Amino acid sequence: MSADVETWWVVLFDSVHHAVQAEKFLKEEGVPHKIVPVPRHISSDCGVCIRFAAAERERVEDVLGRRGTYREIRPL
Amino acid sequence: MREIIDARGLACPQPVLLARKALEAHERVVVMVDNAAAVENVRRLGAKMGCEIVVEDKGGGIVHLHLTRDAAAPAEAAPGEPAVCAPAGGGTYVVALPENRMGRGNAELGDVLMKAFVHTLTQLDPLPGKVICYNAGIFLALDDSPVLEDLRQLKDAGVEILVCGTCLNFFGVADRLAVGSVSNMYEIAGSMTEARVVSP
Repeated sequence: MSADVETWWVVLFDSVHHAVQAEKFLKEEGVPHKIVPVPRHISSDCGVCIRFAAAERERVEDVLGRRGTYREIRPL
Repeated sequence: MREIIDARGLACPQPVLLARKALEAHERVVVMVDNAAAVENVRRLGAKMGCEIVVEDKGGGIVHLHLTRDAAAPAEAAPGEPAVCAPAGGGTYVVALPENRMGRGNAELGDVLMKAFVHTLTQLDPLPGKVICYNAGIFLALDDSPVLEDLRQLKDAGVEILVCGTCLNFFGVADRLAVGSVSNMYEIAGSMTEARVVSP
């Protein structure tokens, strides 16, 4: 993959509440992210997840490790 | 050597841009995508660049496009030509956004759903012809909108974003409009009667 196109990762959650909470924490700590539907190749659930650029992985893990509840962080 | 491009999870125009770049450097390229719009747009690019195209459905919504460029053909698409994100058969429907949240009930949930909805709009095939924001829906087109990037992406792909001028005026936020054009009831009502209206 060429360098000028983002590589995305996602955080998956067990509940929408956790996703909403995590979004709030990431926003408070200024970590760029986006709420998106869980991609079809990951799950057919009608769920939402948080997508972020690969470069933000450490910060996302740090913030959610301290404050959040999530199921999994994985590449998109 | 095959060049493999993983464009799953990416919305137009990214799969097309990646595919074009790869084809400029390699004769055989496989592009992995996960939505119908990307399949259509990458296929169109391949055709334009004189490629032999094999579409392989991998199941679960994943499609691999095998593009083989004729070595004799020029390695570049028409220079300067923008990536095609044609709303295939575009204009067959318009999306009305009368509120800044999706559905009634819980506001926080409504915010999350609206973000997911507008993000998903960018990946639909065909794209809507227009997105029309009115009443509290205009907040989605302002500078602090949580869906601003998605609306901009739709606009770049050729979707017209109409924003109710009366509403901008009512809420006193006309100076904060960040995407789309200020519209009036003639245009809004006209657009809604000319196409199927989809509203979340």
